[in-house]
Amino acid sequence: MKLLLLQVSLLLFLLKTTNGEVLFSSLPRSLVVVASAMEGQVLKAGEDSITVSVGLNQTVTNQTDESFKKVKVKLCYAPVSQVDRKWRKTHNDLKTDRTCQYMIYDRPYDGKVEEFKWDIEKDVPTATYFVRSYVYNDADEEIAYGQTTNDKKSDNLFVIQGISGRHMSIDIASACFSAFALLSLVGFFVIEKRQSKIKS
Amino acid sequence: MEEVVQNPDNNDRKFALPVDSEHKATEFRLLSVSTPHMRAFHLSWISFFSCFFSTFAAPPLIPIIRDNLNLTATDIGNAGIASVSGAVFARVAMGTACDLFGPRLASSGLILLTAPAVFLSAIANSPAAFLMVRFFTGFSLATFVSTQFWMSSMFSPTVVGTANGLSAGWGNLGGGVTQLVMPLVYSLIHNNIGSTEFTAWRIAFFFPALFQALSAYAVFFWGQDMPDGNYNTLEKSGEKHKDSFSQVLYHAVTNYRGWILAVAYGYCFGIELTVDNIIAQYFFDRFDVDLNTAGIIAASFGLVNMFSRPIGGLFSDFAAKRYGMRGRLWMLWVVQMGGGLLCLLLGKIGSLGLSVAVMVLFSVFVQAAEGLTFGVVPFVSRRSLGVISGMTGGGGNVGAVLTQVIFFRGSRYSTEEGISLMGVMIMCCSVVIMLIYFPQWGGFFYGPKKGVTEEDYYLSEWSAAEKEQGFHKMSLKFSENSRRQRGRKGAAVPVQSDPPTIV
Repeated sequence: MKLLLLQVSLLLFLLKTTNGEVLFSSLPRSLVVVASAMEGQVLKAGEDSITVSVGLNQTVTNQTDESFKKVKVKLCYAPVSQVDRKWRKTHNDLKTDRTCQYMIYDRPYDGKVEEFKWDIEKDVPTATYFVRSYVYNDADEEIAYGQTTNDKKSDNLFVIQGISGRHMSIDIASACFSAFALLSLVGFFVIEKRQSKIKS
Repeated sequence: MEEVVQNPDNNDRKFALPVDSEHKATEFRLLSVSTPHMRAFHLSWISFFSCFFSTFAAPPLIPIIRDNLNLTATDIGNAGIASVSGAVFARVAMGTACDLFGPRLASSGLILLTAPAVFLSAIANSPAAFLMVRFFTGFSLATFVSTQFWMSSMFSPTVVGTANGLSAGWGNLGGGVTQLVMPLVYSLIHNNIGSTEFTAWRIAFFFPALFQALSAYAVFFWGQDMPDGNYNTLEKSGEKHKDSFSQVLYHAVTNYRGWILAVAYGYCFGIELTVDNIIAQYFFDRFDVDLNTAGIIAASFGLVNMFSRPIGGLFSDFAAKRYGMRGRLWMLWVVQMGGGLLCLLLGKIGSLGLSVAVMVLFSVFVQAAEGLTFGVVPFVSRRSLGVISGMTGGGGNVGAVLTQVIFFRGSRYSTEEGISLMGVMIMCCSVVIMLIYFPQWGGFFYGPKKGVTEEDYYLSEWSAAEKEQGFHKMSLKFSENSRRQRGRKGAAVPVQSDPPTIV
């Protein structure tokens, strides 16, 4: 049984790799994505939420959604937040593309217009974003996409304000320990002075 | 803790280790913690380790910090340069402080003074704040100088290379260990305690901060400046003259050998610091490994310090047994050139496995060169040992700033081009080693001048008036003990001549 599983997974793995890379430029814009976040709006991580709806793009002809098996909706960085930050770079090869790093939802595709409310998680950093959705086939490859912004990614962008991660307790502990360190330093000098007085 | 106080003129063996006439240990026993020699060794390497650990605590957590503080690649690069530039002047200042106040007070003082910068890293909220905390934390790397000074005060010339190499190497280890430990501490706080990412890294910084502060206390309460006592004790009893700052500084800056060694150190230790800052990124970008793998490779560069720097010190002492000071200089040049060659090669290699192998070999040579440099430093000056150590150490950081600014900022060179060019620069700059000449022992090309003794060299640092008052006693003892630097061919003890002024 174990051997069989190993062989099957090896086969699947090989199939995946021999299938090659998926390029973003090859994907049709088959989906319509609408998000509740408006142009220029500032949302707070850990407090606010975004409602996203994804549906089939009726204006695109000659397509069928038979091969759509899974849909994923992601939060993506706008170009302004990618400047001088190689770890968020856009690559055409989707395996190495780092534009979309946060998952909003990941569901099997069921043909209806999906609406989903997502609470913005606390690990989302301060940046400018848009929302993009990919649909996947059986082999878990991207076959189509949709997004809330235009092709240049200049339109309908919104801002999320990340949490600072600071808490009152950390601030106080930090200040207290620092003060204690400096006071001990003064203490050291006092002790040294006393010692040399004793020895003389 | 009680001080071990001993009359320096008393040669009774009350020490756990065999000692010379200055009561410096002539043997090095790694597993001992006997007072005062081996205890000083363990205190100095652990406290220096904690400073290195704190200074390089940020790099492994950068993927989290850069999102929290909205850093750009330029911000990250600048903070990296800032982290090593503070110590340029701090190391020279530390050298002076050691000469004047003693290594125990100087190092524990600095470590405690920079601990707040590490505590305050936890509340940094912007790129500017991040740069400031890395800058001030980096000042703590000046404890390198106090480590070397302390070892040179506790160990005899025959073993000082080994003592210096081990204490510095094991201290430098902190820069490697931190790349492994900080991510672990972070995930403990994030996963097990449940803090969010942006809170977890902040709490994680309390670990290096507390470690650093505690090591300062240990040095202050358990350490001792010299085998015979602390500076304040020895000064009161008249055994140690409280030297004049301007004289100490003068004799250091006018000794050209200090400047040459500063350049040499800039091109071994400076290279190590540069590589610590850029190597993870290099492997991540060129070979497409993930961040964790890049971190492990980066860590292994620093971890090699465990044996490679001490080996440099050992090689220095070993070369000196047979060839004296000339052997130390030849070894230094050969190893430094080897490091430069491997660096040149590293940038040219395109396969991951071979690249890692060459990188590790490169790190062995670079770190051994550091050990070999500090095999020569204790002999350049006796009176101004601290400032010379500080200048050399500071030179190391200058090298780091220079190479990062020339080769690793902006997009003029790709990282691999930068690495190869850095290798060429290492080889060119090691030529200066050939210019060092000690009249009593010789130099790279020439042998010693006939009739010149160690006393002539070391006593020329004191004026006639100072000698009349007996301030030069320590230099006299050191001269005797450094006789071995003539190597096996050294003549028997010569008759003391009228000391001419030696440049």
